Amino acid sequence: MDYSTSFNMFANAAADPEKTGILASLGIDWMLLAFQTIAFLILVVLLGKFVYPVFVRIIDERQEKIDAATNAAEQAEQTAAAAQEDVAKLLKEARKEASAIVATAKDEANAAIEASEKKAKSRAEKIVADAHDQIEKDVIAARKTLHNDTIDLVAMATEKIIGKTMTGAIDDKVIAAAVKEAK
Amino acid sequence: MAVRLSRRKIASYYADELIAGRDIVHNLAAYLVDSRRLREIELIVRDIESALADRGVVVADVTASRTLTDQAKTAIQNYIKVTTGAKTIELRQSTDSDLLGGVKVAVPGRELDATIRHRLNLLKATKV
Repeated sequence: MDYSTSFNMFANAAADPEKTGILASLGIDWMLLAFQTIAFLILVVLLGKFVYPVFVRIIDERQEKIDAATNAAEQAEQTAAAAQEDVAKLLKEARKEASAIVATAKDEANAAIEASEKKAKSRAEKIVADAHDQIEKDVIAARKTLHNDTIDLVAMATEKIIGKTMTGAIDDKVIAAAVKEAK
Repeated sequence: MAVRLSRRKIASYYADELIAGRDIVHNLAAYLVDSRRLREIELIVRDIESALADRGVVVADVTASRTLTDQAKTAIQNYIKVTTGAKTIELRQSTDSDLLGGVKVAVPGRELDATIRHRLNLLKATKV
């Protein structure tokens, strides 16, 4: 039924209210209304039996998926938070360990430097002591050489001088002195 | 075969002979040849000198760089008298120019080396 027909029926009912009653005056065909009501109920029943359960099941499944995804997201978030805490903890431990390693390395380096300095100092002292010893030995050797050379020189000079200057008179004096000394 | 005498007895005998003024040279030579002891002649002479020294006669070997003057001889004899108690001293002189100066006196059992060469050797011996 189109709008123009309905409007005509309403106009007819308004022009003759006693003939058609209230429903007729409103343009409502009670037969049609009842039919439509029954059809509506049948539709509701059909929808409630065949369509709604499918929609509900789909919606439930979707909801379950959403819930699962939400739970997974929450769990992932918790896992991520835990992982972050672990990472932070590991980082903290790593920093602590690194600090300890650096401190140990510094101590070892200081110890090595100290040992090297001590060794170098000891070696330097030994070199100086050896040098002193060598110098002392050289001085002693030089003194010995000088002593021996002096003796040789004195003996040679004495021999030459005496060979040239010795006379009988001097020799007599030497003999007399030697004999007197020997007594 | 003749009895082999000890050098000491031979020396004592010939020392007495020398003091008595007898010449022993031929006798000693003959004895040594006869007894075939020529090899011991130097030892026997030394023993005779020792025996003479025991009897107050000292034979001294004196070595100098030049011939000794009387003054030097006197000094040496005095030295020998003082050190050995000898009554008679015989100097057997020799010269060695290498001694440079001074004198070396050797008597039985003793020697005095007062030469300049010896002193120079002592000086050289102090080398280290």
